[in-house]
Amino acid sequence: MGARRAVITGVGAVSAFGVGYEALANGLAAGRSAVGPIRSFDARTFPTRVAGEVPIEKTDALFLEKHRGVLLHVGEAGTWEESGLLRDRKVCFGLVAAAEAWRHARCGTAERKAALSVGLGLEQAFLEDLAEQIDGDEIRVGAGNLSGGEGVRFRSRVDITAEKIRAVVGISGRVAVHASACAAGGMAVAHAASLIERGAVDVVLCGAADSMVNPLGIGGMSRLGAPSPRAEASACRPFDRRRDGLVVGEGAAMFVVEEESRARARGAEPLAVIAGFATTQDAYRATAPRPDGSRALAAMERAVRRANLTPADIGYVNAHGTGTPLNDPAEAKAIRALFGDVPTSSIKGAVGHLMAAAGAIELAACLLAFTRDLLPGTAHFEEPDPECPIHVIGPRPLAKRVDHVLSNSFGFGGQNVSVVLGRPG
Amino acid sequence: MTHAGRMAVTGFALRTPLGDDPAAVLRKLLAGERAAAPNAHFDASTYACRLAATIPGAPRPTKHRKFVKRMGLFGMEVGAEALARSGAPATGARLGLFCGYGGLRAHWDDLMPVLERQAGDERATGAWAQGFSLLHPFWMLFHLSNNAHALLSIDVGGKGDGTTTAGSNAGAQALSAAIVALAMERVDAALVFAYDSLVEPETILSLGMSGAATQANTPAAIVAPYDERAAGIVPGEAAAALVLERPEDAGKRAISFVSAAATADGAVDFPSPRAIASLAANLSAGDTIVDGAALASPARDAAERAALADVLGPSATLLALTASTGQLGGATAVVQAILLAEALRTGALPPIAGLDRPAEGPLRPLLRAEETRARSALALSAGMPGLAGALRVEVP
Repeated sequence: MGARRAVITGVGAVSAFGVGYEALANGLAAGRSAVGPIRSFDARTFPTRVAGEVPIEKTDALFLEKHRGVLLHVGEAGTWEESGLLRDRKVCFGLVAAAEAWRHARCGTAERKAALSVGLGLEQAFLEDLAEQIDGDEIRVGAGNLSGGEGVRFRSRVDITAEKIRAVVGISGRVAVHASACAAGGMAVAHAASLIERGAVDVVLCGAADSMVNPLGIGGMSRLGAPSPRAEASACRPFDRRRDGLVVGEGAAMFVVEEESRARARGAEPLAVIAGFATTQDAYRATAPRPDGSRALAAMERAVRRANLTPADIGYVNAHGTGTPLNDPAEAKAIRALFGDVPTSSIKGAVGHLMAAAGAIELAACLLAFTRDLLPGTAHFEEPDPECPIHVIGPRPLAKRVDHVLSNSFGFGGQNVSVVLGRPG
Repeated sequence: MTHAGRMAVTGFALRTPLGDDPAAVLRKLLAGERAAAPNAHFDASTYACRLAATIPGAPRPTKHRKFVKRMGLFGMEVGAEALARSGAPATGARLGLFCGYGGLRAHWDDLMPVLERQAGDERATGAWAQGFSLLHPFWMLFHLSNNAHALLSIDVGGKGDGTTTAGSNAGAQALSAAIVALAMERVDAALVFAYDSLVEPETILSLGMSGAATQANTPAAIVAPYDERAAGIVPGEAAAALVLERPEDAGKRAISFVSAAATADGAVDFPSPRAIASLAANLSAGDTIVDGAALASPARDAAERAALADVLGPSATLLALTASTGQLGGATAVVQAILLAEALRTGALPPIAGLDRPAEGPLRPLLRAEETRARSALALSAGMPGLAGALRVEVP
């Protein structure tokens, strides 16, 4: 690492535990799980009926006004609601998390040139929009028949969240949108640290937002067969012998990442140092991780090396840990090979798999190691699996002081990212 | 703005509405040809924008069709071709893969059965049985943003650094990320590929309604960018790939050199001309040729020319490749990198297709093909929301 170090000075989160980072931290600290029946739409007939759903039935201007924490122009949220933007839950979650992080870091006009590095999930196709376009067997098109306002695509395009975060927080720097599926959040944070280290910028607002808790998202995932078939709160059991699939989650986590000396000079208190990061690719199969975990191991090893550490310095691994039959053994092999018996957990049993936002929310969870000396637990882990020969922290968090932690995120088709956080000095 | 050095291009491939052979495409550009035609993908007769520039033909048959749709398949094709042509020795963990993709789309053909079967079921009691159970099992994989990236990494054995970037400047973002990875020696070769299509119903609707796209009835009626009567872009599509290596590693295999930058200025629609020009300023090294963003709006075109004149001087030569190819969204930057290098190598600059009444202003919009001895040029691209890309191309 060079002389410039990237530190996290603010965090915001929206998760199944509720709105705000404290809700996430308190939920994990209490060893609770927030997975439950889907409430935002009628999922009774779906094979998958549980999710790590943010306890908000409707995202609208009211939600945004209540939680945004920064000043919008009068009526702006209402305008966005009227144009349909706020129905996309990930847009609202990203905005609220970004505002919280910005507020938490006590950023102001001096940080307005901050860059934005954000990981985002699938564009949202709103069924109601599509349905409105159908007239008998025809899709209605043309100005006279268009009922979609700005148009389906431009209301839901992949970078709309980034655009609105810039507007709400009022930052003007460059934007990078990461779309590496379930690795996008980790990629976004790694990219932010890279920008800081290279001296390209001094402040980056970074993180990710995603929601697939909607009929298309849940329906599509169900057809793919990825979710656990059990409609129970304990559906996702990472590293457990009985694991049988993931649980879809939703939410966002955003961070203010700054160059350390600048942060300290303005009196900001670092929550963690982004000490290292690395990306690799499996180049193996579309729908399965490399069974020996070798490329996941390479990402972890490179991230540790980049941090000028040795594997023995890592006191906790926050695993990707999806709870699927194939991911967990491969990841466990890699963790065992590199770190031996290091305490490891996955929070996906507690909040679900946040897809593009998974890496971000899990890095937010890692902050517990430094702020409360707690290592998050693995909800619903009861029966160790010989195929996963690692030290899995059980459902309750582990009280332990560690100085460095590592978080993994693995995207579809084997896009891997590992991020090392360090206790601020 | 991101900009980290200059890397050698050792391989390339593309699919554009004007063809997939850079030399042949350049000949068409030099002849002032335009790819715009009545929309070949769907009946757009009731749309405000009825013309488009589409890639002729279909992707080659491949097993990946079950995971990836048309544009992603084109992206995978060009990626593999570029790598094969490059002669880059890097493999495995030393080969990185960087993807720029414009954006996902609502695939109407998949969704129609889901919606139709639910008609009249207001309480959605049959939502699964009558609707979502009809989704293709791989529907979700079709819609993943990184599916082409993931499968291409498997095909080419790229195990090093990799990322997928999104947005209308995604190609420039991917180039920039690859250059950083090479500069930091995280990889020895970087395969950059980008693909995008603006020729999708919802995109054409939006572009047409906003007035950003041409409403001409026939290709002959399209007014070129930088013309005093300019009236909107032609939506296009493309896939393109480059293999980048450090110049010292590429040696004589270097076909051209590229540096790249990407930025955003917070605008809801296109980025401000000043933001675009500031990118050019960061990359420029005495260049006198620029391929403009060419948004085909008299006000934007004029502002872009004024801003670029501050950077390049008032007599710099102005090109507009997208006047011929159509606007290519997230693929623009990579296509520009290939075609500009081809033009510089050939020593011939293409005219702005269809331009016959250039608006008054600084810079010199090119009306006719002309010879050049220049060895470098800048290229700019712009898209919504406020996203801009730039690159500098240099030939040995």
